[in-house]
Amino acid sequence: MKILRFLLIILFYFIISIQNTIADEAKMLKGLEIFNETAACAGCHTMKAAGAEGNVGPNLDTVAGLTVESVIDMVTHGLGVMPAYGEEEILTPEEIEIVSTYVVNSAGK
Amino acid sequence: MKKKEKKLNLNRRNFLASTASIAGLAATASVVPISISNANHTDGEKGLPEFISWKDRNALIVHSDKGIETHRSAIGESLITPNRNVYIRNNMPTMTDDQIGNRNDWKVSIEGVKNPKTFTLAQLKKLGHTTMASILQCSGNGRGFFEHKVRGSQWKTGAAACVFWTGVPMKAVVEACGGVNASAVFMTSAGVDHEPTGLDPKKAMVERSVPKVVFKDAMLAWEMNGVPLPNAHGGPLRMVTPGYFGINNVKHLGRVAFTEKESSVKYMKKSYRISPIGKKGSQYPSCWEMPVKSWITRPTDETGTVRAGKVQIVGVAMGGTKKVRSVKVSVDGGKSWKRAKFIGPDLGKYAWRQFAFEANLKSGTYNIASLASNGSKKQPELRMENRRGYAHNGWKDHSVNITVV
Repeated sequence: MKILRFLLIILFYFIISIQNTIADEAKMLKGLEIFNETAACAGCHTMKAAGAEGNVGPNLDTVAGLTVESVIDMVTHGLGVMPAYGEEEILTPEEIEIVSTYVVNSAGK
Repeated sequence: MKKKEKKLNLNRRNFLASTASIAGLAATASVVPISISNANHTDGEKGLPEFISWKDRNALIVHSDKGIETHRSAIGESLITPNRNVYIRNNMPTMTDDQIGNRNDWKVSIEGVKNPKTFTLAQLKKLGHTTMASILQCSGNGRGFFEHKVRGSQWKTGAAACVFWTGVPMKAVVEACGGVNASAVFMTSAGVDHEPTGLDPKKAMVERSVPKVVFKDAMLAWEMNGVPLPNAHGGPLRMVTPGYFGINNVKHLGRVAFTEKESSVKYMKKSYRISPIGKKGSQYPSCWEMPVKSWITRPTDETGTVRAGKVQIVGVAMGGTKKVRSVKVSVDGGKSWKRAKFIGPDLGKYAWRQFAFEANLKSGTYNIASLASNGSKKQPELRMENRRGYAHNGWKDHSVNITVV
């Protein structure tokens, strides 16, 4: 009986783990789509993981100290020639969070 | 996966090859859960981008491939900063040799003068020839000391350099064009490095207006520290506006116009404005004249522990648009100050002066600071808080802690 209970707990955590991984991958795919398509970040930035080779803004594979918070801030408010995707309502806050998470977890890979 | 790949390709933009998305998906598909997937960009593990592979990696801190800072102790032990150590901050991609073509055929148009003309670089070289030392400093040098979270490279002291420029005085160019139009208020310089990107010039063109009077000391430079102006620093021709922040020293120069109004491009109207935190707009001052400033370059926390006894504290001091007059040094965090000596040659008011102060230090920890004055203004203790972290010249943040053993 104890063994069965133990196996059920293991199975439960396994399913949760798979669900999380699927959710993470779905978020990353959505992030990639925003990066390459919706926001066209790839037009100006290089990032190998996205196959992007833009050369106007910094190569994201070389940027030091990227955090989700700092990328959200940058994408929301823009800088120089980079549009303010949040202020100008080009992306929704949710899309900004997704693409920022994607960038932080893909840059340098 | 193929289904998602297809979906992503439905709205494919022209500039992306379809392989980009496939590569991206392949990379994404192998991603591990987000919580443990963090990029590691530790300093020293990266090389330099190809366009500046000739620079000294050991002298530089890489914030990104377009934001590269000089180590505090590497800005020039003998006053002038060697090209291989000079920082990089470019708003547009550096133009390539192919895009530039024959350097002597490079063209710059001069407008807002009695007789507007276009000169090739070869023609400019016949108009005049001079050499001048001046400081190149990014408006955001010192941004890394601000405590509110400021976007942009977190420069400390190394987005600055003192270099020799060689070129033609802007005065000679103006004279060759019959003089400046009386109605002009600004000298407006425009780069052409946005052109290869195909981006909207209103958003991407680096066009900067400065007060007209600046032309009297300005020059069009084609050499930097005795070599042809490197592409990465705006070659083959750059505007030099001495005493003014780096952004006004427009790279890859294509036009200089004497205008009644400031340029209306984004880099003039919206960017580089010194505004309060939380506010922005063209009503705030533009990053023009650099303020008086100094900082210690040796010893620092970068140079390791210091042996007890006589210690030479050295650094650089600048007066902005005025000659720097004095520098004081403190070894007790600003409680007491003593005058330092200027050393080395005086290369004019637009260059920085080196200073040295001999201290006798026992073992312990010290906060050492420098405070410069240009006669009418001296460095404040604290930074001027502003939204984008510009124009920092407060002495306290620029002080360094050293350990004497």
